[in-house]
Amino acid sequence: MSSIGLFLILAAFVTASGAFAASIAGARRRRNSLIDGGIGLFHVVTAMMLAASAIIVHAFVVSDYRIKYVQHYSDDTQPLFYKLASYWGGLDGSIMFWVTLLSIFGSFAVYINRERYRLLIPWVVAVISVVEMFFLFLMVIHNNPFDTFLTAVPATGKGLNPLLQNFYMAIHPPMLYLGFVGMTIPYAFGMAALATGQLDDSWLRAVRRWTMVAWLFLTVGLALGALWAYEELGWGGYWGWDPVENAGLLPWFTATAFLHSVMVQERRSMLKIWNVSLVILSFFLTIFGTFMTRSGVVQSMHAFGEDRALAMMFTAFMVTTLTISFGLVIYRMPLLRSRNELDSWISREAAFLANNWVLLFGAFFVLFATMFPTLSEAIRGHDGRLTVGASFFDRWMTPVGLALLFLTGVGPLLAWRRATISNLRLQFLWPTVAGVVTGAAVRLAGIHFWSSGLCFALCAFVTGTIVQEFWRGARVRQTATHTDLFTALVGLLARSKRRYGGYIIHIGIVLAFLGFAGNGSKREEDVPNLRPGQQVVVAPYTVRYVSLSVTDDGQKQMVTAHIEALRDGKTVGSFYPAKWFYRNHESEPTTEVAMHRGLGDDLYLVLTAYSVEAQTAVLKIVINPLVNWIWMGVGVIIFGTFIALLPERSLAFATNRVPEGVVTTGLILLILIGGAATSLQAQHIEAAQTVLITPKTPLERDLQNSIICMCGTCGRKRVGECTCEVAAGMREEIAKLTAAGKSRDEIIAYFISKYGSQEVLSEPLDSGFNRIAWLLPYVVGVAGIGVVVGAAVRWSRHPHTPEPPPADPAANAALREKLDDELRDLD
Amino acid sequence: MPNRWLRVLVSAGVIIGAVALLFFATVQKDAQYYKHVDEVMASPQQWYGKSLQLHGFVDGEPDHTGDGLDYHFKIKNGDAVVNASYYGADMPDTFKNGSEVVLTGRLTPDGFRADSVMAKCPSKYTPSK
Repeated sequence: MSSIGLFLILAAFVTASGAFAASIAGARRRRNSLIDGGIGLFHVVTAMMLAASAIIVHAFVVSDYRIKYVQHYSDDTQPLFYKLASYWGGLDGSIMFWVTLLSIFGSFAVYINRERYRLLIPWVVAVISVVEMFFLFLMVIHNNPFDTFLTAVPATGKGLNPLLQNFYMAIHPPMLYLGFVGMTIPYAFGMAALATGQLDDSWLRAVRRWTMVAWLFLTVGLALGALWAYEELGWGGYWGWDPVENAGLLPWFTATAFLHSVMVQERRSMLKIWNVSLVILSFFLTIFGTFMTRSGVVQSMHAFGEDRALAMMFTAFMVTTLTISFGLVIYRMPLLRSRNELDSWISREAAFLANNWVLLFGAFFVLFATMFPTLSEAIRGHDGRLTVGASFFDRWMTPVGLALLFLTGVGPLLAWRRATISNLRLQFLWPTVAGVVTGAAVRLAGIHFWSSGLCFALCAFVTGTIVQEFWRGARVRQTATHTDLFTALVGLLARSKRRYGGYIIHIGIVLAFLGFAGNGSKREEDVPNLRPGQQVVVAPYTVRYVSLSVTDDGQKQMVTAHIEALRDGKTVGSFYPAKWFYRNHESEPTTEVAMHRGLGDDLYLVLTAYSVEAQTAVLKIVINPLVNWIWMGVGVIIFGTFIALLPERSLAFATNRVPEGVVTTGLILLILIGGAATSLQAQHIEAAQTVLITPKTPLERDLQNSIICMCGTCGRKRVGECTCEVAAGMREEIAKLTAAGKSRDEIIAYFISKYGSQEVLSEPLDSGFNRIAWLLPYVVGVAGIGVVVGAAVRWSRHPHTPEPPPADPAANAALREKLDDELRDLD
Repeated sequence: MPNRWLRVLVSAGVIIGAVALLFFATVQKDAQYYKHVDEVMASPQQWYGKSLQLHGFVDGEPDHTGDGLDYHFKIKNGDAVVNASYYGADMPDTFKNGSEVVLTGRLTPDGFRADSVMAKCPSKYTPSK
């Protein structure tokens, strides 16, 4: 199997080079047959990568330890979910995952754009093929995921470290990859535009949605990483400016700048050089980030070893990319030169320009500071290697962040071209009042002006801007359509999804900044030698240490502290921070943080150390004000992005054929029902004093892993893992039945008949019908995706227009420019 | 300023120069040398008092008595060993005999006083063997 996999990778490399050659030749000779051939080969690469991925995933599922990669990242006891996640868990697999994703995205992008952007497509195929070839080359020469053991095959796998067997760690890399890989598509279109000279708005329109989707995945990936660090690592924070974290942040900055800057090109045909440069930089930074995290060029807590050869290959690729890309930009400078100039510094164009500069500065600063150790070593020799800490980053990035927040508010308030004084007064009045009032209130409340106070004031300012935009827009629409305010709001959103979706995203940003501002008032107490009954006051909570317990559930030993917290005299709840010692990994305990989350702050409890004989504990207590607003802000950003991504006509059919009020009523009803449904979900009750029964026999352990807790609120945890009363009862039953000498099949049959279906099992019994049942969701899912994509493609297709007669390209470009200008001014 | 490009160049130069100046002025305070134990212990006197990030491997079982926040241990790299101490709650879970760690702090004649201890994450992206 592994040899087929290796063959597929080699074949993919050859095929991609064929696609590259055919596309370039076809584009230059205007030979449609060559272009179509190139596209066909391009799709073949995708098919090959899917097949290769299927092979490695299959190897993981069946635990084929002949393949080194599988043996390294999997073992027999690893749950299936984490076996699948191991595909991208190591270096070799992650590169293959990258190529697979890129080929899927590429095929999709080429397919949906093949009619509308005929001139660009061959170059897009060529560029994406080259990137694929680089990564395939890496795999073939250096990091082959299909390497097998030549002699003795180990009987078991090494397995994924329990610290990494965690939902977030499984989902966070693919999210980031989707963002990274997604940035290649806009880059390919940008390069195609440069190569063909079609530098008007068409390439922007092709990439706008792609960039937004890639940006969304980057944002989610970064947020998940921060959330994981916060919930699992136990140091009380969520961002440490580690090189690997920064690697994900760099393209985020330039992509954000690009998303905003394109609006200026669409409106006023300016900033064209900025836009091509930003899209090139965004792609470059994704490659650079990958290079940083895999080559060992920068020391990181994520322990990526040094790999000189890999570093060399990446460097060669990056230098080539930069040279060719910016070389093309310089070559096309005459076409990129803008015909319009900045009319005034008090204009929206100027605000966007400032936005570009601030974001670019942020990216370069983070890049420079992250690479500082390598640079200082290069300049001052090995002894001169200096690093900078998180406080350095914080000190510089705080003003950058605040400047961005300010621009978020100012941008929508300024008019295009030039804002007049009366215009300024009208627009800035209420937001400025909101900002100043909040600033004063916050100062009076005793909060430091720098930087939390200023942050709060700016948040109020931006909120004022956004509210004002929605309010005024809705009022205008209300007068025009004679409906109620709420319907007018919905109609407003439906008409300008990008704009108002963007404002919703900005609301999310404001919420996140609220969370960042709270960081300034963070309080931490490390309390040693707590005796049972002792309490500590960390304002505004009183934390009482009650007792320490040691339990075992067969998979791990748990040392748990029972803590009670009070606030203003009232009991807030009981919390159980713990340290878990997994079997076979006893020397690497995991920290289980206990948290009380609230809108105002989080009470964050970590059991740092303990003494079982003396029943004492060392507790770390952190108060994190406002931190949950960050996660809520990200949620709002996701929602806003969905609105902005909706196709132009998607809500139109609802509002055109149906009375407008119906849409509003429908939405209100949906929100009410959704809210009711979520509030009905019972809270999962953690049983405080459950003494977990250690399985006495291997049969018991096997059953505890095969039967699911039926309490309904723990998310179908195995009976051996869930800590609630129902699971405890079920474990007792298992113990009694095994003690009575029943066999595995008999016990399982008992549970099936007791709970009425096979729902109580963690995996359906492996028999004929059940295999279909197991497979069916995947089949239906894939078929469903196919149907949805097919339908979407069919619905979005314009009626086929006859091909325009081939005209002189130079005249065409000038004509198109003129058209764009005139259409722009109509908006 | 006659030429447009000249104006751009001079402004860019001034801005970049100002930023670079600010950068290097602020870096002094926060910069730390990143050294391995054997490099430092070759001539410890020159490193006394300097802010360091010291990279090494924990040698032997750490002494974790006292009030639970007090740690005394040795770290080594190659043949060089140095005593180290840390007082605080942020000791990583993977800290044990043999772990690869980076200590941030200062070297004194009595040993290395660490303000923070970071242990390398369980390795994911290691070079091919």
